Amino acid sequence: MAGSTQTPETPKTNGLEALLAKITGNGFKLPSNADEAKKLVTNSQVWRSVFRGGVWKNTPRDRAAHIIGNVWLHLHPVRVRPRALKITYSWGMGGISFWLFLLLTISGILLMFYYRPSPDMAYRDMKDLEFAVSYGWFWRNMHRWGAHAMVITVILHMIRVFLTGAYKSPREFNWVIGVVLLSLTLFLSFTGYLLPWDQLALWAVTVGTNMAGATPFLGNEGPFSALLNIRINNDVRFGLLGGTTVGEATLIRFYVLHCVFVPVIAGALLMLHFWRIRKDSFSAAPYSPNEEKVEVWPNLIAREYVAAALTTVAILVWTLLINAPLEEAANPTVTPNPSKAPWYFLGLQELLVYFDPWIAGVLLPNLIIVGLCAIPYIDRNPKGVGYYAWKERPFANTMFLFGVAMWFILIYIGYACRGPAWAWYWPWENWNVHKAPPPATWNIPNLVGGPMMALYFALGIGLPRLIKKELDWRVAIPTTALLSITAGLSLKIFHTLLVNKMDFIAQNIPHFGLGGFVLVSVFLFITIFFGFLMPQRYIREAPFFAIYGPTMTLALLTIGVILKMGARLGFNIKYVFSIPQVNFNI
Amino acid sequence: MPPIIKKLFIWGNLGLVLFLIASVARDESREWKKYQKKFFELEAQELQTKLASSADEEEKHSLEKQIRAKKKAGLEVRQMIVGDLNRIDRCITCHVGMDPLSNPALETPFKENPYRGHPGDFLKTHAPNKYGCTVCHQGQGLATTVKDAHGFVKHWEEPLLKPPFIQASCAKCHANFENIPYAQTAKLGKELFTKNGCYGCHAIKGWGGIISEDLGEIASKPLSRALAGLDLSKTKLSEDQMNIQTYIMLHLTKDPMELVPGDPLGHMGDPISPSGMPPFYLELKEDEAKAIATYLMSMASEKMPHDYYVYAPPKPEPSFDSPAERGKYVYQKYGCAACHGVEAKDGHRNFNAQGPGQDPNAEDQIAQMAKGKEPNLRETAGTFTREELRVKIQNGVPSTDIVKFKADGPTPPLYMPAWKDKIKGQELEDLITYLLSIAKKGEEW
Repeated sequence: MAGSTQTPETPKTNGLEALLAKITGNGFKLPSNADEAKKLVTNSQVWRSVFRGGVWKNTPRDRAAHIIGNVWLHLHPVRVRPRALKITYSWGMGGISFWLFLLLTISGILLMFYYRPSPDMAYRDMKDLEFAVSYGWFWRNMHRWGAHAMVITVILHMIRVFLTGAYKSPREFNWVIGVVLLSLTLFLSFTGYLLPWDQLALWAVTVGTNMAGATPFLGNEGPFSALLNIRINNDVRFGLLGGTTVGEATLIRFYVLHCVFVPVIAGALLMLHFWRIRKDSFSAAPYSPNEEKVEVWPNLIAREYVAAALTTVAILVWTLLINAPLEEAANPTVTPNPSKAPWYFLGLQELLVYFDPWIAGVLLPNLIIVGLCAIPYIDRNPKGVGYYAWKERPFANTMFLFGVAMWFILIYIGYACRGPAWAWYWPWENWNVHKAPPPATWNIPNLVGGPMMALYFALGIGLPRLIKKELDWRVAIPTTALLSITAGLSLKIFHTLLVNKMDFIAQNIPHFGLGGFVLVSVFLFITIFFGFLMPQRYIREAPFFAIYGPTMTLALLTIGVILKMGARLGFNIKYVFSIPQVNFNI
Repeated sequence: MPPIIKKLFIWGNLGLVLFLIASVARDESREWKKYQKKFFELEAQELQTKLASSADEEEKHSLEKQIRAKKKAGLEVRQMIVGDLNRIDRCITCHVGMDPLSNPALETPFKENPYRGHPGDFLKTHAPNKYGCTVCHQGQGLATTVKDAHGFVKHWEEPLLKPPFIQASCAKCHANFENIPYAQTAKLGKELFTKNGCYGCHAIKGWGGIISEDLGEIASKPLSRALAGLDLSKTKLSEDQMNIQTYIMLHLTKDPMELVPGDPLGHMGDPISPSGMPPFYLELKEDEAKAIATYLMSMASEKMPHDYYVYAPPKPEPSFDSPAERGKYVYQKYGCAACHGVEAKDGHRNFNAQGPGQDPNAEDQIAQMAKGKEPNLRETAGTFTREELRVKIQNGVPSTDIVKFKADGPTPPLYMPAWKDKIKGQELEDLITYLLSIAKKGEEW
């Protein structure tokens, strides 16, 4: 195209041509059009030494070679099933999470050039990044917001994988690796939280690590620790902090964990994760007739690029609009009220209202991780692999989403509804207005509470199996609702009648208002629906030890959390079962 | 390839380029640059006028050279690293005229901030490289935007000290600050602090009463601690405008009872009295309140190297002609005025103690409780014999002995401490003489 309009070559360029011919040692001709120029470059020895493969002719072979011959792309197959390309299927969340991981690696390495992990200097370095270092604010904001985004995308990725049954055989182990990667993502974010060394960092990490001190046997405040002579200066929390409080030893520990230790492990597991995706094939959905695979280059690569670009744009906008938070320099003698853990752990912190730390901070998070890992080995429903199967997997989907919803509702309560002294403040309420302390609590005697818990688990596991026929939900659900409301209402009426007559009630449950009625009704409905109606309908005939038992145990534990919340909020009950001598309280 | 992917590809790339350019623009257009640029422009202009009036060829040549240099001057973050005080102050990034490196004379012909030189001759005795800026002025030395550097932002607790508060910085190091002509407001503050009996409740570094907190490091009190329990709803301040300067001022210009309302009616459990601090806002003028706050702002916790301090011998005790006059001095010295008023004119508020004109049946019980008062010594001292008065001062009156107005209301926050370890010997005798001399004479029995 350019050749036709070009003027005839002047002697001067001929001179250059001659010179270049002399240098290259063979007949050299200057390109006369764009195609020739391109050819000149791509056929040059330098180009050919860098990029394998010949001239790009855009043949199927070329496109395949592009994937196989490129180290960065070769984890992809050459061709994938067209359904794997659909954004409505994959949500792109795994790829976006990985892109954020790369973005965080790059920004994190750049930040390391300006950051010294010492209490004297860390906070000052943050100020330098914001005010004096060129693009310091840019990389710090990007790192901070990218980290938050990655926590969200990894969780969304897990939800998507669950809903499409993509963890089922032969991908069980890859799901387990995914769960570990999710935990590592949270731990990476948590260790990074401390590094700015401001009040937000110090106290969020103090809240988070205090939970470790509640580990049974190994934490100085955990149950049974006295038996092993565990003290504040030799328990697991001490090992994590390098001291009895968050201090300079903690900062260097978290720095190494954040910058080297955890990323290396996460990176290794990522390789394994991707390798297994590839080896176990991308999608196990049933083949449709005449389904033909499509080429990864350019179909999948283009989508991956677009997803990465749009993610980056979103992070850039976030970076430009909002600066990463930085509060006062860390001061171990000034405790903010309230002190909150990082947002993704706020659900667990909220649970501290209802449970001792060894349950809320240690047992439950570990149960969640173990429970998640166990899912592919419990859920052996062969249907619903590789597609959304609301009709074929109603039980699995509902129970999983119920757990996810609970996790996020608790986070929302902890994040938005808790003010000074962890009192309940609606998001629009002023924290300066003082709230009355919560009513005094009481314990259910062990001789009552113990059998109550045993009964709960026995009935919870037994009842759904006892009734052999399928219940008609058009009757069962309104009945449950009516039952729940009646129970709430009658409790309200009993309370009004008896509060002035029985000292026990006047003392322990002085108030039971409209809130109590709603709470009891809703929580009771949830309990019956998820604890009885769902399993009764869907898994009553499942093998007891392999499927039914483990499933019901996890479900009853989850519902138990709600019941304990109701007991505390509605009836001021602190413990259902308590052995104070060894700190064992439920 | 579906068209939506192609579209997103274009828009995604466009967005990337656009926002990366925006990021570059944001970083390139940092706020301090315009001030530094303007400074060199002003300097160039100044030289230009000199050039116009110059006749000497050689001088002209030199001026032109200087103008070119000013116009080409590179913009950079400028900072003073003050190792002794562990500070890095970047104030001179905008206040270029005060940069001892580029402008050793530290003077500029410009009148306006940030282009002017440092007023007064302070820098002659306080070399910038030894003191920096923030040790006197406060503010955020590491910051390079106006708002952040001046420090009136959330999470920076030491904003710029404006006049007269800046005088507090003299008193931080100069023990003899009362003799410094620039620190006369701080001096007045110290006098008012004594005169109004603040020492009666507040000690300063251990010297003074124990009824309320020691103010020895009040200027460095963490804001979150200061704000805990404070109700700002009746002031027009938002939490962002809060700092220790305003915190101290509020206590002197507003009713402390409104700031710390407590829970006198016991809505949340046991009744809690509001702040016991008397309503000094009724007696202090705005200027006087500022003076006291200025004095208190010198009470910072920061320890400086010893050669930054100017020591002064302690003031000798004044001498008096009569025991009653010395007694009056003792009354002031130990802060009796805090409760019993300046020169014992009248007692101050003591919430839920008995006081004149209280109506147990009135609607607003809080207002009635607020009428509780400390005794008026001019009225009551005369009803004691000398011996009784001595015992009273020595043993004090614990809170449990104060008769409440409302029996189930909160314990009155103020009480008379036992003075026997502090006021003794001749001081005690003279104090009694003073009190009896001003007391209303009762009927002779």
